[in-house]
Amino acid sequence: MAEYRLDCLGEACPVPLLKTQKKFAGLNVGDVLIVEIDHSCAMKNVPEWARKEGHNVEIEETGDGEWEIYIEKAK
Amino acid sequence: METKTTVTERVAVRPGRKKKNQLPAAIVVLLGVILFGVMLGGKSAGLAISWIFGIAFGIVLQKSRFCFTAAFRDPVLTGSTSLTKAVIIAVAVASVGFGAIQYAAVTKGGTLPGFVSPVGWHVAIGALMFGIGMVISGGCASGTLMRVGEGFMMQWLSLIFFVLGTLWGAHDYSWWKSIFIDGTSGVHLPSVLGWPLGIVLQLTVLGLLYILADRWGNRQKS
Repeated sequence: MAEYRLDCLGEACPVPLLKTQKKFAGLNVGDVLIVEIDHSCAMKNVPEWARKEGHNVEIEETGDGEWEIYIEKAK
Repeated sequence: METKTTVTERVAVRPGRKKKNQLPAAIVVLLGVILFGVMLGGKSAGLAISWIFGIAFGIVLQKSRFCFTAAFRDPVLTGSTSLTKAVIIAVAVASVGFGAIQYAAVTKGGTLPGFVSPVGWHVAIGALMFGIGMVISGGCASGTLMRVGEGFMMQWLSLIFFVLGTLWGAHDYSWWKSIFIDGTSGVHLPSVLGWPLGIVLQLTVLGLLYILADRWGNRQKS
């Protein structure tokens, strides 16, 4: 149940998703990855990808125009 | 060993950070939009309508995260085709709408409204160049403008060079036109095939593209 953070602040599409995919591949089942983003499109495509892969996703707006996406590796 | 919590619970217990209340700014901007619209309406109704449509397009673009760049980039890069399908649907709806407008105008004996641009190699080359540019800069024309308004500052840089490039292109346009575009001509499907066949052919091709995009999106799931 390790927790990892991924800083994608200032990164435009599609960099946050690519970084997430790369980082996520190395995680174990049950681990949580927190992706920090400030690009509104990443708020759409990162959760979409994670949900399609069957992981648990939660989004939180941590500041004005800044979000944290929680992804729990389910399999 | 900590007890197992779901992601949802974890988010719920996190302390929230203070956010600025954006409501006052929203009210000021809305009033500004209305006032400016009324002002434009005083000059000409067309200007006011353009203003309202412009604002509406912006809101739809921002809220829907509609992105032409992602529509063409994501199938290759991430395997997602949801925006590709959205663009195909948009083109299909526009085809029917423009078809109706054009049909109405032509049957009344008027000239064909809208642009029928010349087709040739220049389109393919230009599209490839634009495609490379929009993926690197993170947005096409509409996407860049939308994110400029959203406050994503990297796109402010994109906008500056977007404007510079457009001005440069417009400056030399007659030279490019004389070399590449003159001599090619446009194809207006309904004028060549007739209205029913033209529209049906266009929608069939779009439908096939949609099925293809859907298959591609699901294929990557495994």
